Amino acid sequence: MNMLKKIIRTWTLSELLKGLSVTGRYLFRKKFTLNYPEEKAPQSPRFRGLHALRRYPDGEERCIACKLCEAVCPAMAITIEAAPRDEDAPEINGVGRSRNYGNRRTTKYELDLFKCIFCGYCEEACPVEAIVETRVYEYIFDGRGQNVMTKEALLRIGDEHEPQLAADLEVDGRYR
Amino acid sequence: MDTQKDQVTIELNDTRLEARQGQMLIEVADANGVSIPRFCYHKKLSVSANCRMCLVEVENAPKMLPACATPVTDGMKAWTKSPKAIAAQKSVMEFLLINHPLDCPVCDQGGECDLQEMALGYGGDTSRYTEGKRIIKEKDYGSLVSTEMSRCIHCTRCVRFGVEIAGIPEIGGTGRGDHMQIGTYVQKALSSELSGNIIDLCPVGALLSKPFLFSARSWELKSVPGVAPHDAVGSNIQIQTRNGKVMRVIPQENEAVNEIWISDRDRFSYLALDSEDRVTQPMVRNSDGQLVETDWQSALEAAVNGMKMVASTDGGGALGALASPSSTTEEFYLLQKLMRGLGSNSVDHRLRQQDFSGQSDQIAPQLGTTLQQIEQQNAVLIVGSDIQREQPLLSHRIRKAALSGAAVSTVNPDGIEFNFPLSGEVVTDQLTPALSAIARAMVDMGMGGDLSGLSALVADANVEPAHQAVAESLIGGEKAMVLMGEIAYRDQNQAVIYALTGAIASMSGATFSVLTEGANALGGLLAGAVPHRDTADATVDSVGMDVASMVDMAPKGLLLMGIEAESDLAAGPAAADAIRKSEFVVSLSTFADSVTMGKSDVILPLAAFTESSGTFVNAEGEWQSFGGAVAPKGEARPGWKILRVMGTMANLDGFDYNSSEDVLSEVRGLCDQAETEKWSWSALSDLGDASSCTVASTPIYQVDSLVRRSEPLQQTPLAHAGQATTGGAE
Repeated sequence: MNMLKKIIRTWTLSELLKGLSVTGRYLFRKKFTLNYPEEKAPQSPRFRGLHALRRYPDGEERCIACKLCEAVCPAMAITIEAAPRDEDAPEINGVGRSRNYGNRRTTKYELDLFKCIFCGYCEEACPVEAIVETRVYEYIFDGRGQNVMTKEALLRIGDEHEPQLAADLEVDGRYR
Repeated sequence: MDTQKDQVTIELNDTRLEARQGQMLIEVADANGVSIPRFCYHKKLSVSANCRMCLVEVENAPKMLPACATPVTDGMKAWTKSPKAIAAQKSVMEFLLINHPLDCPVCDQGGECDLQEMALGYGGDTSRYTEGKRIIKEKDYGSLVSTEMSRCIHCTRCVRFGVEIAGIPEIGGTGRGDHMQIGTYVQKALSSELSGNIIDLCPVGALLSKPFLFSARSWELKSVPGVAPHDAVGSNIQIQTRNGKVMRVIPQENEAVNEIWISDRDRFSYLALDSEDRVTQPMVRNSDGQLVETDWQSALEAAVNGMKMVASTDGGGALGALASPSSTTEEFYLLQKLMRGLGSNSVDHRLRQQDFSGQSDQIAPQLGTTLQQIEQQNAVLIVGSDIQREQPLLSHRIRKAALSGAAVSTVNPDGIEFNFPLSGEVVTDQLTPALSAIARAMVDMGMGGDLSGLSALVADANVEPAHQAVAESLIGGEKAMVLMGEIAYRDQNQAVIYALTGAIASMSGATFSVLTEGANALGGLLAGAVPHRDTADATVDSVGMDVASMVDMAPKGLLLMGIEAESDLAAGPAAADAIRKSEFVVSLSTFADSVTMGKSDVILPLAAFTESSGTFVNAEGEWQSFGGAVAPKGEARPGWKILRVMGTMANLDGFDYNSSEDVLSEVRGLCDQAETEKWSWSALSDLGDASSCTVASTPIYQVDSLVRRSEPLQQTPLAHAGQATTGGAE
């Protein structure tokens, strides 16, 4: 009896047709494929892309060099040097020199994107929401050493994406 | 004494424990590994019981009792982790956190903070306190300690340290209740030579190291044990490094040596390591008279060939070597081996000594007892020593003795003050007459022995009541010590002073202690880095040139190790001239001053104390070895390696060592076999000029090239005080 069933299944190509029917169904459904780069996939506010360092609205950098991100980073991608901010520190957006004199600040904040595994722990560890991961995932390095993001580069990215970052953190805030 | 009565049995957390009557509960708990949270209690300080964190439940006590202030009694039952005890501890923690700012991420104490740790165990996750927090303005404590007094939890450890340990009550609490503040009463920089210890004592981030501020986190640091290179105590330290750079120095507990303290000199001298004057490349002077950087091979060849040239034309005796008294024993040993191999006995490290006439009768500078034993003394006589500044932690032991009733007296020039009470004081600019008078008083009291060479001097002495009192206190002391310090040791009439001090010690049956500059003066003598003694006090066939004669005669060939002539030698400018007159100078230098740069024909970069392995022999004769904490800066190399290679290149035998341990075991073996000779004053022939003036001791922050270059130390009031009082006398 089983033998007979098997012969019928084989000769009527039922399994083939069953398989092809899946293909057929998807042929007429709405397509998943995105025409990248014209179209882009939707992103969560928690998307973990390229890193950025944020500033306060008055232009003062948020990072206080507590080194928690450096300590938590499982890939050891972050390197920080800290020092009290001295008077020679570059004036940022024309404010804050006297108010922030002597504060704990980074003199170096480097993030090696080759080592980074985009786990987001740095973002989680940060007590002042300074280091964040943006929605940016389109970037290239066209030279040796560009994988190491400097403090200036990270702050620049932060400045560029601040409205989006603030909005994302706002949405995510109540879960933190 | 009936020991049975002293012992009590208590039950702590339902475990039976033996304890001594009168011990505090927290001590018994600590001894038995039961942890009780605490902030104000510290084993080296008095009990103040004001943080209330150590509350425990005790049977039959109506309320929780603080374990730090509850003496144990027989049959006492206490619980440290009962629900009631935990509830009490948690409540205290909640109170402590009311005013403590939540700024752990910017606080340097973060990661090594007692409050942070305790809050993890006993703190709540949210605060019920909604009122404003207390904020206190930052206070300026000087260049070493930074403050953030809003973080203070009023444990008063720093206050008690000032009163009980440093002996200068500079810090105190003003105001009451919520308005209480810890601070110096008037705005001033801390002036104690031990002030850095309050950084370690502070259980929160209120008092922090200013030079270290924000530069690293405790979890990033690698700790390497070391020995402090500034005084004869040999304080045990931990050198903490990060990425091959020394970030800070903290004390390592060693009850026998430095207890848990270190002096500010030991703590902050590391800041000099990156000074601009560091020598990082071997340099050779070319035919145009210019110093040019070169490689090790050619620099060493130039050094060895130059020295051999001098030795072959003028004989080995034309060579001389000077080493810093803080060189390691291995360096001393190899240096003298090299020099004696080249035919010269002229090796010396006693840079600030001026009178060498008594050297062959004198023993190595040493304590003669242990550091811990100092505390047990009943009578101490300090002769020519600013001990508090010369050997801060040894002075602390004397202070402990003084506070527990010992009669401490001094024979010192004017203007030297101590942080302990003195029972007798002879203030004089001339040590010899004063000491003769004390000796005379002893002779008159019937203590006299054979004074031979000294008898004339002593017989002429004029005994005043002050001298009589000193003599009486020394003879009256069951355990007594006579301590001769740097001022006496450097006097132009040192031989007589030494003999007199020794005579006083022996007549009164006291321990005779001699302490001089540098971390390793004893090691230098044992290793034989002196012109009149070979290794392990062995005699030499001909006595070489000492420091003074080298300055006078300017040897044709000079080998300098860690020397800055103008600041390190007693002769100062004259010494610099002698070096300039010399034909061929090789300098092994960590830091190069203008004399070194201007004259040296070869400069070999020498590793600093954090970069080299070695051994210091401290005042009590303890051999303390340490390894290098970081790689030497630039092309610098440890001294023993440089000297070892120089020995090999000079074709001398016995220089094939593989490690500093090989060198150490050789010199240690020699010293262990040797019998140290007893000194005598009988051989003393020349009594010198009895009215010679005393010299001042080196200011505390001028003693060696490291502390001179440590910027924060130079900014302290102590550095300026030293210049003001002793600058003219030098």
